[in-house]
Amino acid sequence: MNELIDKLKTQLIEALNLEDMTITDIDTEAPLFGSGLGLDSIDALELIVLLEREYGIKLTNPAEGKEIFRSVATIADYVSKNRTK
Amino acid sequence: MNTVSHVIITPEETLLDGKCIFRGSITGLYREFAGDYPKFFKMDSLCRLGFMAAELLLKNIPAPIRENAAIVLFNRNGSLITDRNYQKTISDDNYFPSPALFVYTLANIVTGEIAIRNKIYGESSFYILDEYNAAQIEDISASVFITSSPSLLLTGWVDYNDETDYLADMKLVTDKETDLR
Repeated sequence: MNELIDKLKTQLIEALNLEDMTITDIDTEAPLFGSGLGLDSIDALELIVLLEREYGIKLTNPAEGKEIFRSVATIADYVSKNRTK
Repeated sequence: MNTVSHVIITPEETLLDGKCIFRGSITGLYREFAGDYPKFFKMDSLCRLGFMAAELLLKNIPAPIRENAAIVLFNRNGSLITDRNYQKTISDDNYFPSPALFVYTLANIVTGEIAIRNKIYGESSFYILDEYNAAQIEDISASVFITSSPSLLLTGWVDYNDETDYLADMKLVTDKETDLR
């Protein structure tokens, strides 16, 4: 799981242009939206595309996304259980 | 119109009111004169250019005066560089479009980025011209003070072709001598 978490952090930094950040700057349990990294709705769309492109996961329920994208830890948990590639 | 401040940003140098204050890239300019707005790195090149010009022009303007400002910008290339970048991402049959790139495929987004950063609530518009035309820019800018009453106007040229070919030539103007302290 730790390997997946680090990979997700690297992918987040690249996909969301979090320049000047490294994976050690991202708290695994911290909220991604609002406080924490302060991501916005466009970033949420990028995350949805990232999950489909990298892990073959298609999110169709917006309500589900809110919980999945709460933190890197919740994304990693969801990916590990639902990935198709 | 009364010019309060004038900035020119080119690949070679940045001039503020006629004085060279920086030589280097737009990102270098950001690190030197802003540095506290991570969203800068999410912006496309046109927005980064216009954003930094606005940062330099507005840095000494009190927030209550900034709120009622208007923004009217002009260029020739629109958002063409980002349009092309986005097109590349969707040219493959099995493509994954980037929402973060797509949102910058409109030139007027730069006015929104400036307004969000500076909490500007006045009117904004973006014109794409055939070529740089100082008289036309002056006329359109002056008309803003006739049709509305902004405290000040952020206006001028902001055009990005590639990293060796870009120009922001922007001014902060008022319709008369106004105390902006």
